[in-house]
Amino acid sequence: MSALTITRLSVKEAVSRRLLLAGALLSLAFLVLFALGFNALYSRAASEAGQTETAQVGGIMTMLGVYIVQFLVAFLALFLATGAVSSEIDSGTLHAILARPLSRRSWLGQRWLAFAGTIAVYAMLMAGLLLGIAQVIAGYGAVAPWRAMGLLVLEGMVLLSLGFLGSTLWSTLANGAVVFSLFGMAWLAGIIEFAGEMVGNDLMRNIGIAVSLLVPSDALWRGAAYYLQSPAFLAASSAVGDAGGAGPFGGSAPPSAALIGWSIAYVVLLLAMAARRFGRRDL
Amino acid sequence: MAELPVHTAGLRKVYGSHTALEGLDLEVRPGEVVGLLGANGAGKTTTVKILLGLVAATAGEASLFGRRVTDPQARRQVGYLPEHFRFPDWLTGAELLDYHGRLAGVPTAERRRRIPEVLERVGLAGRGNQRLRGYSKGMTQRVGLAQAVFAHPRLVLLDEPTSALDPIGRREVRDLIRDLREEGVAVLLNSHLLGEVELVCDRVAIVDHGRVVRAGRLDAMVGAGTQIRVGLDRVDERALALLGGFGEVVAVDATTVVLAAEGPDPAAAIAADLVRAGYGLQALIPVHRSLEDIFVGLVSESSG
Repeated sequence: MSALTITRLSVKEAVSRRLLLAGALLSLAFLVLFALGFNALYSRAASEAGQTETAQVGGIMTMLGVYIVQFLVAFLALFLATGAVSSEIDSGTLHAILARPLSRRSWLGQRWLAFAGTIAVYAMLMAGLLLGIAQVIAGYGAVAPWRAMGLLVLEGMVLLSLGFLGSTLWSTLANGAVVFSLFGMAWLAGIIEFAGEMVGNDLMRNIGIAVSLLVPSDALWRGAAYYLQSPAFLAASSAVGDAGGAGPFGGSAPPSAALIGWSIAYVVLLLAMAARRFGRRDL
Repeated sequence: MAELPVHTAGLRKVYGSHTALEGLDLEVRPGEVVGLLGANGAGKTTTVKILLGLVAATAGEASLFGRRVTDPQARRQVGYLPEHFRFPDWLTGAELLDYHGRLAGVPTAERRRRIPEVLERVGLAGRGNQRLRGYSKGMTQRVGLAQAVFAHPRLVLLDEPTSALDPIGRREVRDLIRDLREEGVAVLLNSHLLGEVELVCDRVAIVDHGRVVRAGRLDAMVGAGTQIRVGLDRVDERALALLGGFGEVVAVDATTVVLAAEGPDPAAAIAADLVRAGYGLQALIPVHRSLEDIFVGLVSESSG
């Protein structure tokens, strides 16, 4: 069997879905809007405020933009993943395909690969373009843009794998509800953890950490956000105070090796569980 | 016996509290068209799904070409048309065939050559560049058949292949099945259109409550127990005694005797004897039991 047939078909599927085309157009519209808004705000700040404040505006705007990109990446991952297996079973397209000399593990892996590639390309493209816009308009340069993009892609993989596992367990609709709730919970827990840091509350901190273990998406985003700050912004933040400089939605510390290690293990583990579950299921 | 296209022994499948298969034994030999008959829920589709590894058997053995069905390589030379064939509808017919050919390991050049050939064979010549979204039900079934036979399989599993076709389409499918048989391809045909099965199958296996209740050559099964309806000017003891010599008298009225004949067709001998004995012979009609009679008899027997 020629390799990666399912991958090719799944990429084609992702690209040919009309919703995704609409998503691409909306993403483009978002970038244009971002560029216009950024430009208007920045030029006004540049003419009215001092250099430090102007740099702050550039930093905050960029961070806000990437924050939205992060949501778009997450939604793309969840959208692709929720029905990745279940909708194929429900629609009945899977029967004829698995009747070919193709193992279920291979089908699942190839499909995951296709979606992961789609998400990675999208995340890199969107974050790259956004940072490019910030660079052109405000001369903004992030501390480590490639690391940030890598973390953004890893966040996408985490959510994709979570959705894949759910898709082997539940119907598309139920899975959608579950994974979006988990994603929302991780987001909320990130804010709780931030607040816990601010007020020095251990319980709140621990809630945040526990949820990050269960769904590390928000923790990865905070890591990415840290690397997206400009050196000047970072200096200004640390002048304000140790924790919380980047605000409740940003990152105040580089991601730990443990977080990255756990996230990669998380992806592998969830995929293995999905393969195990799917391999035994009667179709 | 290792190379049998299909072999199952004591196949059992339990879904929760429902037993779908209860020790099913089935064989399909090379170049043979076998009809799997049964009422809805008898276990036909479950059997096919187990053969394709889509459903795991609870117990028993199942193999294709000597390989256990749990090994994906067992399906290397198998084509399958599911009962409700669905496909990614944004593909064109030709793309669908290309894709299935790829999955079956058909080389690129061979795929390119074979796509128009197979489309024509199922009556879809010139429709290959149309998206499947725009196909009618009948066209969908045809393209499903096309993907099933695309990669030169040595075994084809067809689950209700003609349910969406008109009479002409059905005839074309029968011709296709006969062609396959001539090429030495084994075919397992799941159908509840008994007339259809009668026209094309070499052997049938009648499934009821997850078990094969009767299997054998179709001609033997249909021919066995041929009845002869004899119309006479008068029916008396002597006539009954004479006819009794050819088989069991099943029914009698004033001018008709129905005889369950034994042995090779005795009509000529019956006619000669009756005339010689001075009876006025008015009718001598062999009444074949149709597959439907046999099927209904067997299935209602066991469910009663």
